Parts: sequence; structure tokens; C-alpha cells
Amino acid sequence: MADCAVSPKVKAALLRLSRDPGGTASPYTGRKITMHKIYSNKLHILIFLLPALILFCGVLIAPIGASLYYSFFDWKGIGAKTFIGLANYKELFTSNSIGFMKALRNSLLLALLSVFLQLPLALGLALTLGKNIKGERMFLSVYFMPVLISTVVIGQLWLKIYNPDYGILNVFLRKIGLESWTRIWLGDKNTALGAVFVPTLWQYVGYHMLLLYAGVKSVPMELREAAMLDGATDAQVNRYIVLPYIKPILRISVIFAVTGSLKSFDLIYVLTNGGPRHATEVPSTLMINMLFLRNRYGMGSTIAVMLIILCFGFALLISAMFREEE
Amino acid sequence: MKKVLAIALALCMVFTLVPAAFAADLPTDEDITLTMWCIATESDANRPAYEKAVAEFEAAHPNIKIEWEAFENQSYKTKIKAAMSDPNTLPDIFFTWSGAFLGDFAEAGTAYCVDEAYKPFAAELPEVMLQNSTYNGHHYAIPLTYNIVALFANMDKLAEVGWDHVPETFEDLTACCDALKAKGIIPFGCAGKETWCVTEYLEPIIEKTIGYEELGKIFAGEATWNNPAIATAVDTFQDMINKEYFDPAGIALGNDEVKANFLAGKTAFYQNGSWNCGEVNDAGFNAAVALFPVMDPAKATYGQVIGGPADSLAVSAYCKNPELAAAAAFELGKDICHYGYLAGSGLPAWTPDYDTSAVKPIVAAVADIVAASDGMVLFGDTAMSADPANTYLDYVSQVYGCDIDGAGFVEGLTADLG
Amino acid sequence: MNNMSKGARIAIYIGLIFWMLVNLFPVYWMFTFSLKDNAEIFGENVVGLPRHWLWSNYTSALKTGHIGVYFLNSTIVAVTTILITLAVALMATFALTRLIWKRRKTLNKFFMLGLTIPIHASIVPVYVTLSRLHLLNTYWALIIPYSAFSLSMAILVCTGFMNEIPRELDESACIDGCSIWGIFFRIIVPLMKPAVATVGIYTFLQCWNELMFANIFISKSSLKTLPVGIQALSGQYTTEWGPIGAALCLATFPTLILYIFLSRKIQESFIAGAVKG
Repeated sequence: MADCAVSPKVKAALLRLSRDPGGTASPYTGRKITMHKIYSNKLHILIFLLPALILFCGVLIAPIGASLYYSFFDWKGIGAKTFIGLANYKELFTSNSIGFMKALRNSLLLALLSVFLQLPLALGLALTLGKNIKGERMFLSVYFMPVLISTVVIGQLWLKIYNPDYGILNVFLRKIGLESWTRIWLGDKNTALGAVFVPTLWQYVGYHMLLLYAGVKSVPMELREAAMLDGATDAQVNRYIVLPYIKPILRISVIFAVTGSLKSFDLIYVLTNGGPRHATEVPSTLMINMLFLRNRYGMGSTIAVMLIILCFGFALLISAMFREEE
Repeated sequence: MKKVLAIALALCMVFTLVPAAFAADLPTDEDITLTMWCIATESDANRPAYEKAVAEFEAAHPNIKIEWEAFENQSYKTKIKAAMSDPNTLPDIFFTWSGAFLGDFAEAGTAYCVDEAYKPFAAELPEVMLQNSTYNGHHYAIPLTYNIVALFANMDKLAEVGWDHVPETFEDLTACCDALKAKGIIPFGCAGKETWCVTEYLEPIIEKTIGYEELGKIFAGEATWNNPAIATAVDTFQDMINKEYFDPAGIALGNDEVKANFLAGKTAFYQNGSWNCGEVNDAGFNAAVALFPVMDPAKATYGQVIGGPADSLAVSAYCKNPELAAAAAFELGKDICHYGYLAGSGLPAWTPDYDTSAVKPIVAAVADIVAASDGMVLFGDTAMSADPANTYLDYVSQVYGCDIDGAGFVEGLTADLG
Repeated sequence: MNNMSKGARIAIYIGLIFWMLVNLFPVYWMFTFSLKDNAEIFGENVVGLPRHWLWSNYTSALKTGHIGVYFLNSTIVAVTTILITLAVALMATFALTRLIWKRRKTLNKFFMLGLTIPIHASIVPVYVTLSRLHLLNTYWALIIPYSAFSLSMAILVCTGFMNEIPRELDESACIDGCSIWGIFFRIIVPLMKPAVATVGIYTFLQCWNELMFANIFISKSSLKTLPVGIQALSGQYTTEWGPIGAALCLATFPTLILYIFLSRKIQESFIAGAVKG
């Protein structure tokens, strides 16, 4: 547990602890004040917090402030800035040529699929594997594997899978005589969004599964057994014992799934970069497009601000919904 | 202006033995490192030209070292735009497209004015070649090569359907495409994933319908998009798509894949920039180069082309020693042009002062086309500044996907760009 | 499991094995095409094992693609990021869970904001700041933002673990005359060892994949990371699938092999994060 230099002190402490587990009747109340003194020393608090605060504020909070500031300007990234108030926000929500609403719809659709397709699948796997099935470990390991592969690798791999001429998907369809089902998956406006979602959802099933599996495994055996003795079926145990028990993890999973969908970028960037004709555009790709292709820093910053507000808003909303149910 | 350009280029071709002007004195003895960014990645046709140019430069100036990095086209655009937000992060010398792309840098004062540095090289680099990188009468970049949109043809495939030359009228081209299709050969390939490739087809069709002067005015914002003839041109293009003259898979592919299909004989034609000459020349089939036929003889002639000197090197106004960097960029540019021309990755913006007998036949054919050209318009997405250029590209990609027709194209662009 | 009918059990296994194939097949396909030439990939032999094992694809991915260098760079960035995140998060968590002051709950919530902020939203301001600090084109240009974006998750995980350490330990150490540093370094940090692996995994997932920052903040090819390198290589070899496949495999298999050896440990740590967080 601890290395040699440490162990005597830890041991001594543990020893004292075992004699007086509650610590309430401690004969050392006088000393407790000393600890209180050390622990409430302002300088100590500052020193311990400072690195985190600098890093966090410098890289996350200050840029948000900067983005908020730029979002009120018409600015090319170089040259003069023109203050235009809320005009960028107005244009973002009303202009058809920017297509923000469509990008937003796409990412909300991804979020919905994530919650109602990816999570149920992950939950199903977690519940099944949580029942001491043979080969549990192997299944677990394989299912988690895609999470560890770099998103760019997954993107490049799926580009090859979807290739209209030589991709494995069309080749397979031709082999089994479904020639008419072959598509130019990433080039067709009607299939591109679905084609981009499949690997996005596929990659993170394992992530959610492992989170939920952890919850399932933490359900006390006695609870399960008691329910079983009362004649509950498997489904009933899951419904009335396991699910309520893993609610906190389910909440985290839903939050990650939704904010992750809103933030999604890398895989879409690699696969289609928002194309064909904006069919797979999401707010992040639109933002990069505004910043670096159209030189509209003000508008890019506006999208950045909207993204942050949306992610944060959804996180709060989901938390509130879970609390409501309780 | 375009005529002058064409004549100047023709002169370049003829007088290949213009005496080399004195090399610029690079006024320093201390050890110096210059940084350079470009898009000549290891698979790029221009890579060897850059390598040779840098090596020669370093040999001639032992105290100057060129530290250069190459990036893939799309990520390069992102990087260089990000660098605009803090010009101190720009390298000393950077690759740029002339026209509006460079214009943003020039306007903001991040690109160094090269008027002074140009003087010693004026004899070797005709001033007309600098026209696309000139703003308010000042020059801001050093042109490298010079390119036009060319219609490449695989003559072996055309021979299979009885053609011994590239069709020069639209009727002939249509007949040829129908014959190719009947034989199971796909006529054209066009990369839908990179919209600039679609413009390589669409712009010549529009130019050959409304004439180069009108198109040039539209790109410059001096004339309206609201022109029914443009709608007709777009409809012609879509008609070709609907007749399946284009490889349907192209819409999901990038340019490299489409080009590879042409080089491998999968498609009979490939219309793209003349920087592909070297590769087409060495593809192992009997290749020819031509222009897209005239659509409306009242307004356009066969010799009107899309193109111009676009690939350039610019110097950062924020670099430590811009004079030195500019002089170096001129020397580098000259050599990159030299080796690029011989390798077939473009026509020379600089007057050749070396043996040009080894120039590839296809390159020579393109040079002849340029020498005989009647007029020239710069590529639309290079001519327009970033925001309108991307709006324009948006509409072009919708045309290729057949989401909108000619009327929709004209209507949308008129509403967004005027 | 035992109370289930045989049919149900078979159905479950079929489902599980099907999903396993869905996860394995793309990786298998990637491996096989990394060893083939275009002729085989494009028709002669699409899914089978390669007829001629073309290891030369790997040589070109390593030589022209410099995948080895990129892998090393990614590893350096990931390891340093993990170490920094861990150190900073442990200190902050100590202050947030142990030290006594008002508003520490508020500050904790403030740090949790970071869980929802998309990394790309800060790209331009961070670029300008890094450039002013002359950190562009160094590993720090990636390590600093990656650490910052991993911090919230790390604090969340560490809070879970640290709350489980009985407070009486601190007290006893205090009685023995330990200073605050003594308590932190000798009592708390050693007992946080399980959190190290968990934070490490979450941080790794965050920074191993990142493409946009890495593309924009690094211009020297000797410092490029894997995602950028793979993306660039695919841009160069669009029509030659073999070397791309080889590059994808080289970028993937070292991690996967490590995972196979450590899968139990990795899963447990990941799970610990879930339960405690």
C-alpha cells in the first residue's frame, strides 16, 4: 500500500484508528485544533489550489471570455475589429446560408441516437455481462477495445469501409447479391449523416458499457438474491433492483453521451468535414469552417459561445431531470 | 491585360536564353536561418523542385539555412489562417495563393511588400506575372508557376471509339462521350469531396458560355451573378452529369483518387489544373491536352482559358530581416519554377534561362495553348476573398450534387453575393 | 444465469458474439489490408488473409510516414500530460476535500464546468496565448491545454478516491508532528495510488485522439503527433491503401497489445473512476 518511508506513520495512524474508529472520543481534541489550524491556513489553501486555478482559468475560462468578447465583433482575424453587438447571434439563428440550425439539428439527432440507441445497447451488454457469464472478461475486453483506438485511425478505417468502389461494405453487398443496396455512403446526402453516425456511436458503446457494468457489479449480491428468492424474474431484478441502484452512473452516462454528441468533431472532420453540401455539418465543424476557411473570427467565436452554452445547459437539464425522478 | 500576359508568356517560351540577371546580393555574413512553410508534401509533384531549389540556395549561401516544413493542403490553410491571428507566428517565407487569399495578408500588413526586392529580378520575371499578387500598385509575393485548367484526354480510350483528336466542339464532345459510354468507358471523373475540383469543370463551361471578360468582372464583384446565360451553362453541366458522363463514385472521392482513376485508364477525360501535366505525361498511355469547347460562339472563343499565376511565395512583414527573406524568396522562387517546369508541374512564371529541350510534350502543348490564348480569368475561388469564395464553392457543390439547378445557382449567388 | 432456459442462453451468446465480431472485424480488416497491394485489396482478395505478406508497406509507413516518430511524440505528450494532470489534480483535490474554507463546494462546481466545455471552442485564444509565451512548436503547446482539459475529470475521480481516505489518518499524522506537506506527500499521495491509473486512463483517452490543436499548434514535423501524422499520410497516399493500413496498424497495435496485457487492470481502474466519481 505504501512504500517503506511512509509505512511507519501510516501504520501508526491505522493502529490508532483501529482503537478508536469513530474518532469522536478522541483524547486528542486539543491536537485537532492544531489540524484545523493547519488545514484552514489561507496560504496553504492558495498554494494547493494555485496550479489548478492557473491552468483551468488560463486555458478554459479566459478563452471563453475572449470568445464572448470576439463574438460581438465583425473581425477577419487580422486588421480592424468592428463592434456589431448581437448581430452575429442574430445572423447565426436566422441565416440559411450559415446553416447553424441544421448543424444543431444534426448534433441533437446524434445526441438522441446516442441516448436511445447507444446507451440501451451499452446497458444491455452491461446487464448481461454483469451476471457472471462465461467469458465475461473476454467480452468486456473486446467491447472496450474501440475506445482505445485513436479517432483519426477509426475515421480513416471507416473511410475505407465506405469507399464506393473498393470499400468492404459495398463489396459485401455485391457479394450477397444486394447490388441495388450499394450506395456512395459518404457522398449521398441521404446516407452521409447515418454513415457518419455509425462509427461515432460504435466507438463509444464500450465506454458506456464499462461505466454501466461497474454499476451493475456494485449492486450488492444480497439484494439480488433476496429478489430472486421472492421469485422475481431476471427482467424484474434488472428493472426494480439494478436500474434504480445504478441511477447515478446512468446520469453521468447520459450527460457524457449528450455533451459528447454536441462536442463531436474529430471523426466527422476526418470522414466528411461536414459535407456533402453540409449534410453532416455539426456546430464544431461549422465553427472551424468559419474561423479558418471564411476568416470570420467573430462568427466562429459566436458558435464557440453557443456550443459552450448548449453543453452546459444540457448538462444542467439532464441533472435536473434525474433529480426530478427521485 | 490577359492578352499581354499571354504574349509575355509566349515570349518567355521563345527567348529561353535571356541572360541571367545578376544574383541579388544577400547582404550578410552571419549565420542565419530562414523558416518556410509550403504544401509540397512528400507525395506532391512539386516536392523535388523544392528540394533542389533549397539545396542550391544553401550551397550558394553557406551562411543561410532554410528550415522548411510542408503541410497537406487542407491543414495548411487552417494553419496559415490561425497564424494570421498572431502574425508573429508566421514563418519568414510562406506559400500562398495569389488573388484574394494573399490579399487579406497584404491588406492587414502581414505580408511584406516586395517591390524593392523585385528590382534586381525584373529582367527574369516579367511584371505581368505579378499582377495577381499586386495590391494598390505594390507587389506582395513571388510567383512560382503558372497554371490553367486543361482538358486531359486518354487518346487510347478515345481511339477505341474512333477519335484521333480531342473533340473541339460541344456536339463532338457529346458524341464522343456517348460513344465512350456505349463502350463501357466512363468519360469524366470529378472529385466531389473537394469542391475546387468541380469548379475546374464548371468555370470553363461558364466562361465558354458568357465569355472571359464577363466572368472576370463577376469574380471581381464588378458584375452581377444575375445572368441567365450562367444558368444555361450550369444546366449544361448538370445535363452532362444526368447523362452519366461523370463517374458517380466521384462525388465521395478526393482529387487524388479521381486523378488516379484517370491515370489508371478508368476514365477517358480529366479536366483539372495544368500542374498535373507531368503525371499525365508519364502515365503510360497516349495522352493529349485541349480546352473545353465553346458553348456560345457569339460571346466566347475556343482560346479563352481559366488560370494564371497563382502559386506564390510571400514574405512575412514580421520576420526579423524581411529584406533578406524577400531576396531569398526570389531566388528560391526562381529555382522552384525552374525545376517545377521541367518536372511538368506547371508553366514557368519566370523566363527560362536554361535548356528547355527536356520539357515534357504535354507541358509544351499546354504552353502552346497559353501562347495562343485569347483571354484568361483567374480561378474563381482564388479571385474571390475567403467568405464569398466559400459561399460560391457551397453553391458549386450543390450544383454537382444536383440539389439546385442553374436558376437556383444564379438566384442564390445573386442574393448572397450580388 | 443458471435459471435461464437453454434457448435464452444460446440467444444471449449469439448476441454477444455478434457484437464481438462487429468490434473485431474492422480491426482484422485493417490488419489484412495493411499487408496487401492494391490489386488484392481492390478485388482479388478483399477479406482473406494476404497472399503475399507485403511487409514493405510497413517500411514505407515508418520511413516516408515517420509513424515511429509520431508515435514517440504522442507518447511523450500523453505521459507528461498524465503526470501534470495528476499532480495538479491531487493538489487541488486535497484543497477541495480536506482543507477547511468557505466556498470550496462552489469552487468544486466551477471546476466541473470543464467537463462540458468543448476543447475546440478555445482554439484561437489559446493559440494566441501560447504564441505570446513562445510555446508554439514545443511539446508544451499540447501538454498545457491537454492537461487543462483533463483536469476536471481528474479532480472528479480524485475527489471520489480521496473522500474514502479516513480523516483520522490526517489527524494522527498531525499529532505525530507532520506538516501539511508531510500529510499530503506521506499520507495522502501514497494512498491515492489507485487513482493514478484511473486518472491516467481518462487523460490518455482525452489526449491520444486530439487532432485540431495538434495540427495548428505544431509546425515542426519532428514534433507532430499521431493523429496529425496519420491524417497527413492519408492525404499523401489516398490511392495506395497498403501503406495507410500499415500506418493505422502501427498507430493502433502498440496500444492494443499493452491493453491486452493490462486489460483487467485498465478496466478496473476505469470502473473505479465510474463508481467513485
